[in-house]
Amino acid sequence: MNQAKGGTAAPGQKRFGRGGNDAEKKSEAHRREEILELLWTMRERGLFSVEEFLRMTEEEDAELILAKMEGDGWISICEGQVAFLEEGERRAEEIIRRHRLAERLLSEVFALDEKFMESSACQFEHVLNPQVLDSVCAFLGHPPICPHGKPIPRGPCCARFKREIEPLVRPLADLKLGEEGRIVFITPRSRSRLERLSSLGLIPGSVVRLAQKRPSFVLEIGETALALDEEIAREVYVKKA
Amino acid sequence: MNKSLRKTTATGEAIPRVALVGNPNVGKSVIFGWLTGQYVTVSNYPGTTVEVAQGNSKVGGRRQVIVDTPGINNLIPMSEDERVTRDILLEDEDLKVIQVCDAKNLRRGLLITMQLAEMEKSAVLALNMADEAKERGITIDHYDLAQLLKIPVLSTIATRRKGLDGLGKGLEAGYIPQIRPVYNPEIEEGVKAIENLLPEKQKGKRALALMLLAGDESLKDWLHCRLSEKVIQKIEEICRILQSQHQEPLGFLINQKRLKAVDRILEEVFRKEKRSRGMAASALSNWTTHPVGGIPILLLVLYAMYKLVGDFGAGIGVDFLLNVVFGKAINPAVTRIVEHLFPWQFFQDFFVGPYGLVTMGLTYAIAIVLPIVGTFFFAFGLLEDSGYLPRLAVMVNRVFRAMGLSGKAVLPMVLGLGCDTMATLTARVLETKKERILVTLLLALGVPCSAQIGVMVGMFAGLSFKAIALWAFVVAGTMICVGFLASKLIPGERADFIMEIPPLRIPTLKNILIKTVARLEWFLKEAVPLFLLGTFILFALDRLSLLKALQNMAEPIVVGFLGLPAKATQALLLGFLRRDYGAAGLFVMAKAGELDSIQIVVSLVTITLFIPCVANFFMIIKERGLRQASAMAGFIFPFALLVGGGLNFLLRTLGVRL
Repeated sequence: MNQAKGGTAAPGQKRFGRGGNDAEKKSEAHRREEILELLWTMRERGLFSVEEFLRMTEEEDAELILAKMEGDGWISICEGQVAFLEEGERRAEEIIRRHRLAERLLSEVFALDEKFMESSACQFEHVLNPQVLDSVCAFLGHPPICPHGKPIPRGPCCARFKREIEPLVRPLADLKLGEEGRIVFITPRSRSRLERLSSLGLIPGSVVRLAQKRPSFVLEIGETALALDEEIAREVYVKKA
Repeated sequence: MNKSLRKTTATGEAIPRVALVGNPNVGKSVIFGWLTGQYVTVSNYPGTTVEVAQGNSKVGGRRQVIVDTPGINNLIPMSEDERVTRDILLEDEDLKVIQVCDAKNLRRGLLITMQLAEMEKSAVLALNMADEAKERGITIDHYDLAQLLKIPVLSTIATRRKGLDGLGKGLEAGYIPQIRPVYNPEIEEGVKAIENLLPEKQKGKRALALMLLAGDESLKDWLHCRLSEKVIQKIEEICRILQSQHQEPLGFLINQKRLKAVDRILEEVFRKEKRSRGMAASALSNWTTHPVGGIPILLLVLYAMYKLVGDFGAGIGVDFLLNVVFGKAINPAVTRIVEHLFPWQFFQDFFVGPYGLVTMGLTYAIAIVLPIVGTFFFAFGLLEDSGYLPRLAVMVNRVFRAMGLSGKAVLPMVLGLGCDTMATLTARVLETKKERILVTLLLALGVPCSAQIGVMVGMFAGLSFKAIALWAFVVAGTMICVGFLASKLIPGERADFIMEIPPLRIPTLKNILIKTVARLEWFLKEAVPLFLLGTFILFALDRLSLLKALQNMAEPIVVGFLGLPAKATQALLLGFLRRDYGAAGLFVMAKAGELDSIQIVVSLVTITLFIPCVANFFMIIKERGLRQASAMAGFIFPFALLVGGGLNFLLRTLGVRL
């Protein structure tokens, strides 16, 4: 795997990981990753032109690196349009997967706000190794989309999960009817929601049973039946009891 | 609410007070009724007891004032109800507490006991509904529990008056519960720091400090009464710093620790046999909220209500009161007396003329509206006490969501079918201002009250099913559209839908009757004077020939735009005062064959969308202020005419035959 080796973060940001000279230039590998990432997100928006790419990129020597990547057979450039070749596609998919899983981890588990989440995810993506990445993916229940609603490329662990492994932690809303789960964490949109849920006995460690999904979600905790919005049931993450 | 409470206590200063405290639907009100022998609303719907009831009692041989507090889940208030209860506990330091707890939900009950301990309140714990707990295979060792909590613990079945005798003795003892969880070291430090800043003689400082740390905004007023600006700022600083060190809200961390402490107690005293829930009640309970099965049940419930209110109340009841009591006895007698007392025509008309206080106002209120509203309140009481209303909320949550409301709004909306004025008042139970405005608007706009439904049912008799369906469709559609648009325009959030569903219970007739009588009392006190006022306004308008002038002004709209006969103008004008007056006027015209079916539907739609009555309008002013009330009226009346006119135009152009 082509991990960024000792690469520094963008200027003005604190260096992530080992200490070092902040003025040091980004490694080329790091910059290639940034470029692949941009090309991928451009493609998601239906943009392919090199000209557009050069306007949007913040990397130095972007044109030169682009040419090198073409030379290495990662991408092809034809009449001012960029396209991924197999190698480039694979690498881009991986970096995007790392970035978006990192975003999801930061926003859901650590409840970081959006601005901070974004900058931290940019650093995370260059250091996560494949094993850790797959564990993160499993921990989050192999989420299909990032917090911004963009698709997260599937990894090998997701394919395995489809066949044999159930996710460790998943939203309460995804339990089957009548299934029980132990609450692991709650990631509410508003603070008052968390306090209200805890007043009713919903805290990490409580065991709940999903009694009904339609027309509203109904769950049972102890001898109490609670009806709630699906949106809230999606924010409560449970593990099989 | 607080003010009214203080007023009553001022009269009996030396009398000790006892508060009934507990989660919603645990039977507080039943115990209150037993202690005081006085009326109070007993209800299954979370939050109906927003009004606080008080009564005298001689429990334990001493005269005491018992306060029935709204149900709570936490004393760090998340709703107006919880705030009211917390304030009651806070304002009287010597207040004793009877905590009522649903035995099978002991965990949630102990969460409150713990906070009473921190407030240093002497308390007795009643583990109520012991029978239900037993049915579910739950056993609670209440001797051990009493040992752990250091307060008397009773096992009770309030509805059957079992175990309640021990309450008086338990209160006399005056023990303060002793369970105090230890919080995270940083929180403990914060608690200590705040405790030192609070007034020296304050009782329950720990509880206050924890409330403040949890970011309880509702304590602001309380603080400002007792502490200097500087000290308050210091406290706020402590809270801010502590919160900034934690990712999760402090309130949540505190609740979490409390629940862990509760769980440790439960491990010692609470046993549950695994038992299947295959009881008949639970199967029925599942059906009532089933996405498909729930609908026939809903229709069945509506049909039963219609039978009770429509056939019995509006049919037999009205018939008897109107034709026999008023028609044969009261009105002729009053007419004779008035004619005897006042030789002048003016006074005679004032009492017994076409717009007379007795012959129109009183007859209308007592003979027509009272039996309908009475039977409706009875039916509504059945729905409340059986626990069906929260299930209805589950069914309609999604539709309500489109209108910017949560399922909880079902309570005022259904109550609106009985009396919109009363329902407007109960809009208070909703959590956000946005929802309260929306419900008030929708009630005023589209929910027909029982009096109006009663009159309309009579008109429906001559119509095809298609016409009735069209009326229902247009009114419901208008409500949903207006709700949808208004929810986009009115700033604010829709409240979260998190609602407890109590088990289905067989209601006790006595409780329902008590409740119905109390609501009727309210109706007679609040609504009847407004009926009389409305009648008086009509009488004055008629005498000053203004009624005629207004009719002339409105006629072009009624005839040209709505396509109704000129005579209908009077009915619609009456509709401004009370829509059921208006409907009654239309009813008379329809009976006489002066309206074709399109005209009936158009006029009914228009009048249904009017503001229900003057009383309702006054209630909107009282609850929402004059500005909002005028804005709503300014929107509703022209809009109702617009919808009616539009419908008339559409039906005529398309050549629809009903």
